[in-house]
Amino acid sequence: MGDSTGDTGSSMHGVSTDKTGKYDLPVDLEDRATVFKLFSFAKPHMRTFHLSWISFSTCFVSTFAAAPLVPIIRENLNLTKQDVGNAGVASVSGSIFSRLVMGAVCDLLGPRYGCAFLVMLSAPTVFSMSCVSGAAGFITVRFMIGFCLATFVSCQYWMSTMFTSKIIGLVNGTAAGWGNMGGGITQLLMPVVYEIIRRCGATAFTAWRIAFFVPGWLHIIMGILVLTLGQDLPGGNRKAVEKKGKVVQDKLGKIMWCAVSNYRTWIFVLLYGYSMGVELSTDNVIAEYFFDRFHLKLHTAGIIAASFGMANFFARPAGGYASDIAAKYFGMRGRLWALWIIQTAGGLFCVWLGLANTLVTAIVAMILFSLGAQAACGATFAIVPFVSRRSLGIISGLTGAGGNFGSGLTQLIFFSTSQFTTEQGLTWMGVMIVACTLPVMLIHFPQWGSMFRPPSTDPVKGTAEYYYVSEWNEEEKQKNMHQGSVAFAINAKSEDGRNAPSTITV
Amino acid sequence: MAIKKLLFASLLICSMIQSSHGATKERLFTDLEKGALEITATPSRTGEGVVLAAGIDKLSITWKVSSTATKEPEFKTIKVKLCYAPISQVDRPWRKTENELFKDKSCPHKISSFSYDPTVKTAQSFDYTLERDIPTGTYYVRAYAVDAKDHEVAFGQSTNQDKTTNLFSVQAISGRHKSLDIASVCFSVFSVVALLVFFVNEKRKAKIEQSK
Repeated sequence: MGDSTGDTGSSMHGVSTDKTGKYDLPVDLEDRATVFKLFSFAKPHMRTFHLSWISFSTCFVSTFAAAPLVPIIRENLNLTKQDVGNAGVASVSGSIFSRLVMGAVCDLLGPRYGCAFLVMLSAPTVFSMSCVSGAAGFITVRFMIGFCLATFVSCQYWMSTMFTSKIIGLVNGTAAGWGNMGGGITQLLMPVVYEIIRRCGATAFTAWRIAFFVPGWLHIIMGILVLTLGQDLPGGNRKAVEKKGKVVQDKLGKIMWCAVSNYRTWIFVLLYGYSMGVELSTDNVIAEYFFDRFHLKLHTAGIIAASFGMANFFARPAGGYASDIAAKYFGMRGRLWALWIIQTAGGLFCVWLGLANTLVTAIVAMILFSLGAQAACGATFAIVPFVSRRSLGIISGLTGAGGNFGSGLTQLIFFSTSQFTTEQGLTWMGVMIVACTLPVMLIHFPQWGSMFRPPSTDPVKGTAEYYYVSEWNEEEKQKNMHQGSVAFAINAKSEDGRNAPSTITV
Repeated sequence: MAIKKLLFASLLICSMIQSSHGATKERLFTDLEKGALEITATPSRTGEGVVLAAGIDKLSITWKVSSTATKEPEFKTIKVKLCYAPISQVDRPWRKTENELFKDKSCPHKISSFSYDPTVKTAQSFDYTLERDIPTGTYYVRAYAVDAKDHEVAFGQSTNQDKTTNLFSVQAISGRHKSLDIASVCFSVFSVVALLVFFVNEKRKAKIEQSK
């Protein structure tokens, strides 16, 4: 989104950044909003926020729609425990691949098309759930529906183009958190829809099939809204802005290399697998767990399971916000510490959940676990935008994919075999969370430091500008392709902590 | 900090109440009087490899109190249930047999429940059409005799102790309907077509804008 030519190319050298005349909210050098007005629907910033999180939430609703209905589905389709577990793994595996692709799509075509295409093309997969008749069909359809979780990437990407880096933790955390809430909403929605359909006269084995039409319709509605009301960038849609000569087309190979060769990318892939990944696994098993272990009714188990996913409403934004506060006083080092503390706490509560023998302790442990895991997700994506400027899309995609991979792996090891009971699986999952969070100690930014090491004192290599501009080679710098990175580096001075300038009016 | 202490204390109290609830002795299956009721279940279609269809086929259930029953004066209600044979419990922990009666999940399907009339000494029978929400599996029939406190005191089943004889298989309904399949295809097609229409339209508009 850098400006190669045109009027804004020179705006980094002394021009006031307040453009309230043009937009509803104050903006920075790249037309990104600097404040976050939650209850506004103003074009383009807040409207994008709402379109983005609602469409992402819809995808969560449909991906986990089967989970609270498993007690009925497993009887209709004659499933074994392995079949149920494998379907859970399948539901999160599809998006490993689709999140990677979506990262590239956003970098190349823009998040609006990415989101709309995915949401509308996955509607048929949701409708096809009503036609399955056995384990193979069930697993296949859950796999295909799972592809739509890639809207996470378009959501985060879209937020990063619309909101400035100082508040990105809070914005990304809120958008993703409210999107993830869909995993909780579905645990309430689907049993209620099922019950209503049954009372209208359908038998149990038909009612659950009809219930799947509801998420399907939501997909269609959201896809149309995104296409009609959304825009890629504050200045307009990507194709239009590109044609005006303001946005530069980058090469896929180059951005992939930039993402893959940065070791921080891979640490975040692992970390996210054990914050988001465990959240997804729990979305799949928790309703059935409460139904079977504590002998509850289907909709009671659904309500409890829903509170796990619904905690996202404040937990994930709180994680992003905590990260932003930590950054205000301690810079990037604060963000890294916040992430480690929150994610480890979540892991310990997960251990407790598996050990809880009574309903009340299980619910308390589950809620604390959800707060820890979801806040950790928010804190992760408060840092990810700083790993790279050039390959933001692909790194978001890889991290997101890591989340799903972690989920698939955890479900496969702990919840698909007869080797562990579900409660043992939860305990071991908690242990794995604590272990896999330790690598955050290895993340080091030369310009800001790491958990245990201070920033580099090198006057050239220890600057944010050097870090971000070094993603481009000389040839590309000649073409002025790196100007966006320079602007980003200036705005990123907020990560210096207490030494940061209070306002960015360069 | 005071609030946190209060919350922690109430948590502790709640969990203690919960755990003390389970301290009363649980009623066990092995405590029930075996064979107090003699019950047979005859499917409407029999034979080698016959699978009954849920919603269509019937069971003819005949029962009477055994002459050896000792707890007969306590009987108030008879509850007849459809139970899973061991083969249908493999790899399905939600159908597990447990000794503690409240935990036992092997007999979830209610067939019938009626009050016990001690004056009738002869065998009674009734017909039961297999419900449409019975899953595919292999089954037998068990009857519990329940006392006035709604506690089970005795039982009888249509199979032997090892649950290997007189079992019958049921095939569940699929739950699918042609109308559902058609509706699903229609909405899917609509979604894809709507997307393509929007996309093509926008491309056209962008081309027109550019040529201006």
